[in-house]
Amino acid sequence: MLNNNLLHVNLNRHGDVTRRDLLRLAGGGFASMSCLGLLRSIGVNAEEIKKEGRSCIMVFLSGAPSQLETWDPKPGTTNGGPTKTIQTAIPGVEFAEYWPKMAKMMKDVSVIRSMAGKEAAHDRGRYHLRTGHRLLGPNKFPHIGSLVAHKLGDPESDIPNFVSIGQTVSSGFLGVEVAPFVIDRAGQLPANMKGSVAGARASRRMEMLRQQDNQFVKAGAESIGREHQELYRKASRMMTSSRLKAFTFEGESDKTKQQYGSNAFGQSCLVARRLVESGVPFVEVQRGGWDMHQNLWRNMPRTAGEVDQGLSTLLTDLKQRGMLEKTLVICLGEFGRTPKINQRTPAVGRDHWAKNFNLLIGGGGVQGGVCVGKTSSDGMEITERPISVDDLFATICTSLTIDPNEELITPGGRPLRIVDEGLPVDEILG
Amino acid sequence: MHDFFSRRAVHFLLCVAVLSSALDAAPKRPAKKAPPNLPNLKSPEDKIKFLEMIRGSFPVLRIGRGRTYRSRDLDEQLEKYIAKETSTKLSPIIDDETFIRRVFIDTTGHIPTPAQISNFVKVQDENKRAMLIDELLESDEFARKLARYWRSVIFYETSANKNTVNPQALEDWLFAEFKAGTGWDRMVGEMVSATPTRKKNTKSQDNGWHQDHGPNNFVLANERKPELIASSTARIFMGISIECAECHDHPFDNWKREQFHEMAAFFAPGKYYMTDQFDPSEKTVVEAKFLLGEKPPTYLKPDQRRVAGAAYLIYNPDNYWFARAFVNRAWNELIGDGFYSVDSLGQDKEVVHQLVANKLSASFRYAGFQPKWLYRIILNSKVYQREIATIDSEADLFTSVRPARLRPYEVADTVQQLIGENKSVWKAINSTFDQNPSIPQRDLEGAVQQALLMMNNGTLHNKLANGPLKKELLKTKNDEQMIRQAFLGTLARSPSDEELTMYRKFIKESANRNEAAVDLIWILVNSAEFVTKR
Repeated sequence: MLNNNLLHVNLNRHGDVTRRDLLRLAGGGFASMSCLGLLRSIGVNAEEIKKEGRSCIMVFLSGAPSQLETWDPKPGTTNGGPTKTIQTAIPGVEFAEYWPKMAKMMKDVSVIRSMAGKEAAHDRGRYHLRTGHRLLGPNKFPHIGSLVAHKLGDPESDIPNFVSIGQTVSSGFLGVEVAPFVIDRAGQLPANMKGSVAGARASRRMEMLRQQDNQFVKAGAESIGREHQELYRKASRMMTSSRLKAFTFEGESDKTKQQYGSNAFGQSCLVARRLVESGVPFVEVQRGGWDMHQNLWRNMPRTAGEVDQGLSTLLTDLKQRGMLEKTLVICLGEFGRTPKINQRTPAVGRDHWAKNFNLLIGGGGVQGGVCVGKTSSDGMEITERPISVDDLFATICTSLTIDPNEELITPGGRPLRIVDEGLPVDEILG
Repeated sequence: MHDFFSRRAVHFLLCVAVLSSALDAAPKRPAKKAPPNLPNLKSPEDKIKFLEMIRGSFPVLRIGRGRTYRSRDLDEQLEKYIAKETSTKLSPIIDDETFIRRVFIDTTGHIPTPAQISNFVKVQDENKRAMLIDELLESDEFARKLARYWRSVIFYETSANKNTVNPQALEDWLFAEFKAGTGWDRMVGEMVSATPTRKKNTKSQDNGWHQDHGPNNFVLANERKPELIASSTARIFMGISIECAECHDHPFDNWKREQFHEMAAFFAPGKYYMTDQFDPSEKTVVEAKFLLGEKPPTYLKPDQRRVAGAAYLIYNPDNYWFARAFVNRAWNELIGDGFYSVDSLGQDKEVVHQLVANKLSASFRYAGFQPKWLYRIILNSKVYQREIATIDSEADLFTSVRPARLRPYEVADTVQQLIGENKSVWKAINSTFDQNPSIPQRDLEGAVQQALLMMNNGTLHNKLANGPLKKELLKTKNDEQMIRQAFLGTLARSPSDEELTMYRKFIKESANRNEAAVDLIWILVNSAEFVTKR
């Protein structure tokens, strides 16, 4: 166990050995080595590692979009309803009519049409598709974003390694260090970034506060006290960060803003790109409104339209900036919707359905233009290549250079595999 | 075992039979005979009367009634079971200063003033803690504290249109009922059996759903949807999560999909249809049936059926979940851990020290579901008055009290105690410290934004720098007095010797007394202890 620790050197996204690892190594007798010497000694080149630095943008379609009205339409069938289809850039692959821009980009993304889920209640599904684990038992699994922040993020980063625009699930047992930094609206500096005093006085205050919290730890509030100290350390580092402007639109033209779409979702996508560009390894953006039990066909064009525009612009922008190769973009909801149309009044829709649904995945070394899996013509069954949520998370991890078989140790000392038993979807990992 | 089941089966029959006979002569063949004369439920009062009628029909369990249950019985029993689980020592009992802060937070939602602290510490009476508890439980603030908590529990996860609900009306009604000493049974009965109807020709925001009538808001928060009312009723009032069974059989509990829909059928305005799991165009009629198998007579009208559902929830003596859910939430709030996670209970095997939980819950029932009775028992117990510790293992539960994060409105109130009323600060704190009141304390986490707010909010620190506490600090004669005042005013306790030394040095190194006072307040207001119950 102890020896293993020595081999697990975390390299942050700038290719540096993290301070914590250095300390650990120092304790193990490596004290005399310089950082660079150490890197050489374990056979890695800092520049190469920098290039490897991966990021991920998760576009979460909260409420669960219908697979038949997104990227697995069933034209001309009873279950397909009135939805028409359009041809994508890949011959033989059609999208629902609401996705003209994404259809043109199909060479850059792949679609998985055979996602097999297990949770058909919103909260449980949202947890499952964000953590890769079902909500069971006492161990709270981390959001994949927290895992990415933990594995790829710089622990000494001056802005959070995981930003979510909108509420999301927590970092679970990975703790507050990699918790999502949640902002409600894109384009503004987070609130309360300016201190009331500065300089030596501010540092004296902070030092006294640290000591005060030590007193509380001694009095028995260990976990709350230590966590509090960590939060204040992060908060004060963030206040002076030169990277804060990534939260704003500073320097973006009106044209760019319009291309992303003049709505909250589009603007979130733009900020997501800026955050990733500034070195944040994981950003979640959201578009809700997909829980269309009723009025599905009335609501679909606008809801899908915003995502079609924002997502396609994001992918194009990343590509033009040479960032797409290193940035995994995944667009998904918590489950799918019933292929059979319900009888609700005043206007029909589709209900919850976890048996089969679909998602888009691209960038981050994932091959574009692939259509994984098939569903039956009535949309009720997966007929080819079912992909479990575990498989999906194994794929995400692999793309991000994280080993899905690695075990994380919970604070209680229990080892838990990152992915239980999934296999990466090789046909898109190239 | 066999005996238990057969007795239980008889019991169900009894409930149903007695229900009908109490109302009128029970028809032997319900299909042929005309239904009995049931009261017309026009007003909420009619419903309560009807609820009472049904209540009268349930057998009353009198076991244990003769003996009163006291805090010392609770301690005795609990300590016996704790000793079986762990060799960890029980933490010592807290001192007076820690006690008064803790009990103030738990009964009023804010810290005591320096004067209240020194008066309490001075008193020489071995009963003074019990006397203070009695006094606080009679205060308006206690009723308000409970009302705010239950308002947040009921409204936390709602997605009801804001125009159709009035959370403040619910809180005010809860306040009045807690204040009047109404039993929890009556309050839940009124909330669960409410059938808010739409007023003709009014917009929903103009009280169109009678949302100004407080108890209507439980049903309105659940959008009047039978499925949501059913899952919230089970979750909030029984501590049972059945909502996952709406779509499929519960992944790890005994609840079946059909049971969920049978429960939901109580809350339907007419016939209740369950949608087929695989084919949503297929629907089947489902008859109301409560979780323990109680079936209301078929001749009940929808309104009456809903009242019957409330009665099964509350007055069926076999439904020990109802009393235990309230007890567990109170316990969780006061001790820092529940006997089980407040709303994720599926099976009894997850209950820690189950016999204690059940005994306390049964006693709560015998005490007429009186919240004040329950709080009095717990607040006077040793388990409540122990020092804090971070508890890592389940076996060590209740050997100490877990330090608990204050609820967002309590942080806001405590701040307002220092700066006076201020809407913008109050709102900012409430939204930044927002958290689900049903999540166990041990799973709650702070956020960087909370730190940023407390460190930097301009209005907050302006007010603190010019507030009454700062002025008092400047009036003190020496550094030690300044430190003592600052601690009492913010953390409601005296500084330790170590802290005195720490801050004496700090003040000496400050540019001037004014700056020292402002910084001292800043540090203490930003400390973890300020936003935590210790």
